[in-house]
Amino acid sequence: MPTKRPSATPSSAPSPSPSTTPPTTLLSGPKTLSANASVSDIACNVWNQYLTTTPQRTMLLDAFMAFLVLVGGVQFAYCVVAGNYPFNAFLSGFCAAVGQFVLTASLRMQTSPSGSGEGEGNKSFSAAKAGKVVGDRSEGVKDGGVSHERAFADYIFGSLILHFFCINFIN
Amino acid sequence: MRWCPSLLLFGFLAAVNALSSSGNRLLVVLEDAEEKGSYSTLWGDLEGRGYNLIFESPKNEQLSLFELGDRAYDHILLLPPKSKGFGPSLSPKNLVDFMNSDGNVLLALSGKSTTPSAISSLLLEFDLHLSTDRSSVVVDHFNYDTLSASDKHDVLLLPRPGSLRPDTKNFFGGEGVLAFPSANPHTLGDNSLLAPILRAPTTAYSYNPKEDSNSVEEVFATGSQLALVSAMQARNSARFTLLGSVESLQDKWFSATVKAPGGNQAETANRDFAKQLTAWTFKETGVLKVGKIEHHLAKDDITVEDLNPSIYRIKNETVFSIEVSEYNYDRFIPFTVPTNDALQLEFTMLSPFHRLTLHPTATTANSTIYNTAFTVPDQHGIFSFRVNYKRPFLTYLEEKHEVTVRHYAHNEYPRSWKISGGWVWIAGLWSVVGGFLAFVFVWLYSVPASSVAKGKSKKMQ
Amino acid sequence: MQWWHSILQLSLLASSALPVAASSWGFADATVSVQTKGAGVGAGLKEQIPSNGALSTPVPLGNADTLKIVLTSQEDKSAKSAHQVFLLLQDPGSGLDISYPFSVKGNGKSRVELTWKDLPTQFLSVSKSIDARILIGSFGSSKAYDEPAFQLSLARGADEPVPTFEVSRYGKLPEIHHIFKDDAQSPPIVITLTFVAMVLATFPILAGVWLYLGANVCHLSTAMKSAPLPHAAFLGSLLAIEGIFFLYYTSWTLFQIIPAVAAVGVVTFISGSRALGEVQGRRLAGLR
Repeated sequence: MPTKRPSATPSSAPSPSPSTTPPTTLLSGPKTLSANASVSDIACNVWNQYLTTTPQRTMLLDAFMAFLVLVGGVQFAYCVVAGNYPFNAFLSGFCAAVGQFVLTASLRMQTSPSGSGEGEGNKSFSAAKAGKVVGDRSEGVKDGGVSHERAFADYIFGSLILHFFCINFIN
Repeated sequence: MRWCPSLLLFGFLAAVNALSSSGNRLLVVLEDAEEKGSYSTLWGDLEGRGYNLIFESPKNEQLSLFELGDRAYDHILLLPPKSKGFGPSLSPKNLVDFMNSDGNVLLALSGKSTTPSAISSLLLEFDLHLSTDRSSVVVDHFNYDTLSASDKHDVLLLPRPGSLRPDTKNFFGGEGVLAFPSANPHTLGDNSLLAPILRAPTTAYSYNPKEDSNSVEEVFATGSQLALVSAMQARNSARFTLLGSVESLQDKWFSATVKAPGGNQAETANRDFAKQLTAWTFKETGVLKVGKIEHHLAKDDITVEDLNPSIYRIKNETVFSIEVSEYNYDRFIPFTVPTNDALQLEFTMLSPFHRLTLHPTATTANSTIYNTAFTVPDQHGIFSFRVNYKRPFLTYLEEKHEVTVRHYAHNEYPRSWKISGGWVWIAGLWSVVGGFLAFVFVWLYSVPASSVAKGKSKKMQ
Repeated sequence: MQWWHSILQLSLLASSALPVAASSWGFADATVSVQTKGAGVGAGLKEQIPSNGALSTPVPLGNADTLKIVLTSQEDKSAKSAHQVFLLLQDPGSGLDISYPFSVKGNGKSRVELTWKDLPTQFLSVSKSIDARILIGSFGSSKAYDEPAFQLSLARGADEPVPTFEVSRYGKLPEIHHIFKDDAQSPPIVITLTFVAMVLATFPILAGVWLYLGANVCHLSTAMKSAPLPHAAFLGSLLAIEGIFFLYYTSWTLFQIIPAVAAVGVVTFISGSRALGEVQGRRLAGLR
């Protein structure tokens, strides 16, 4: 994986970048990497890239996802250490964390500019190229994808159902 | 339910002081009408106990044990035939059919005449074996009546039988000595339906008096292997008793004075023993009846709806009780389990999960109530309460009551917060819910604080 | 002389109906011997049984041995064949008995041979020694003889299994008590509480990271200004739904929460679409 990263990151990063981030920060990323960069260099680069290219709203979302990972991880560790005696409680507690993580991940994919980059970015490109000046990228998405708010509404709906099932199951 | 007719009859015939629990039509098969007189005390005793004696000769061709497919008699007393058998109406097959329809048979043999092979084959059906020459006589040079058989030693003097095993009820015990003239011995097969009532003494042996030899070198059986009186109680509790010496029923021996070698003169107790033997065979004693059977959850206030539920949950505390009566000559009395024995309840699914002793808790005028409490096993399925009480000399009890045992219902498990082990996951679940709410709040109302984001969104404009 | 004497006595007995001194049976020259198969003649045990007495030491009988008893039955000290000359074996424990008739010659000489094959299984499984008695008796008024002769012990080799026998008799059966599975045990409360604390500690971490990243709720006032009702209703109904879930967790039943959730859900849907519309307006205005 690490060997592929250098080639993968630059190729995927530039595609959404022109419209979203200043080119200087973008270019600084690939520049520091050479073909035989060390693993730590690559990791640092990826981290810097993340810090610089990710919008704050997406980072809040990522923090929430990290929180979920932490909660799920602690629950799993407890299961390993102390046994799974009320097994349904373990399943619902752990599945609540995992399910919330998955839902949040899909929300991130639908709302974050970098996460949804591949499909939407290209679309916005084509839209921009076609001369249709659109204020926001999501405006252009509307015809094919979903708006951020619609995605958020779906997210809330899904989360409530998840919570219902988990509470039902934990007894 | 099948006791009801006899109970009704009992009510009508209250003047009669005793009555069998299963009918009073007694067929006496007697070949020689002249012999009838020598058993007059026996007939008198039987009639005095309420039996309706019907004397028939085995040669009578009209004789039939069945009438319109139903039993024509309730009991049969067979005296040994003089001719080669009992004739076609009393063939072994007919007698077995008679027993299959709950009839009782008392068969008396004698060592004086050769037993017909038809009877021998009937006895083989019950795993009772006569000697191959079928004309053996038991002799005992140590326990014989010196007054009547000083030379032939073929009148055996025996004490009244004790109980068969330490855990069985003794229906034939008592004081006195029994005289068994010219007894035809038999041996018993290995069969749990068979029980010896009276065995020969250790020093007894059997021989064929027709064989003229100085000393006996081939014996059929010796000592206590030889049974003089045996009982076979079929699986339907029909009773068959084999009495080796018909002479012991004669008036002469009912009140004879006998003297054992080296002993004192004594009166025989044959009359009392004959009463016990006929009473047992014709179901005046040793008949068990089950009354109420109740099972319910172990709790204090039991209503009618709580009785005998068809479903239990695993680990329920359950109480089972059964009411048992014993018929004793003329009425039902409370049944007491013999010492060393136990009335047992099995809670079974294919094999017993519990087998518990039922303890007597209450006694009514004519029954004892046994009960036990136990916890339903932690295994769901179709279980049955089973009381399988089969003992020698007692009619068999086999009660089976099916119940369903189910798992805990969803709302019967302890709630999750009561289990401390689950607290971590409960906390995890509610953290996720709380985190979600906080995230919704933040997502909706957070202003992008960084200028980068602002600038970005402005650029987008 | 003896013979004549007994004849005289018998005739006396026969003539007088009341025997004054009852005659009695007995035996003489009784020997018990045990011969092992294959061993030479004369090898093995051979002992004389005293009349009216018993051997003091038990007679061992091995699997390959033959027990042989020879005696002469006597009626009043004169040799005579009796109708019953038996060797009676009795298990003192169970009271079981079996007799083996001697083969008797005309002059009273009798012999019996016994091997393991002749013994019933019940006797072979007995661990103690078996009582052996000699019975001599016959018709007539002579007193029969029944005295212990010796003890028979079965000399079983160490590797020879004790035979077992089973008889089926109706009787009480051993009690059975179901063995329940152990209840599941909760882990020690200390571990549980530690992990609960760890789970709850993720909250401050989340809050800290969010604050570090600059999360805020500054738009709450603007949102409330532009669309107060939908926002309040939306947030309130969300909280209400989670609250209903909490009540469901603690006490309510499913059929109690369904109408409640349906009612609140409608509010959430309607207010949510308004509120999110406002949010979208802010976003399009570049405020987000």
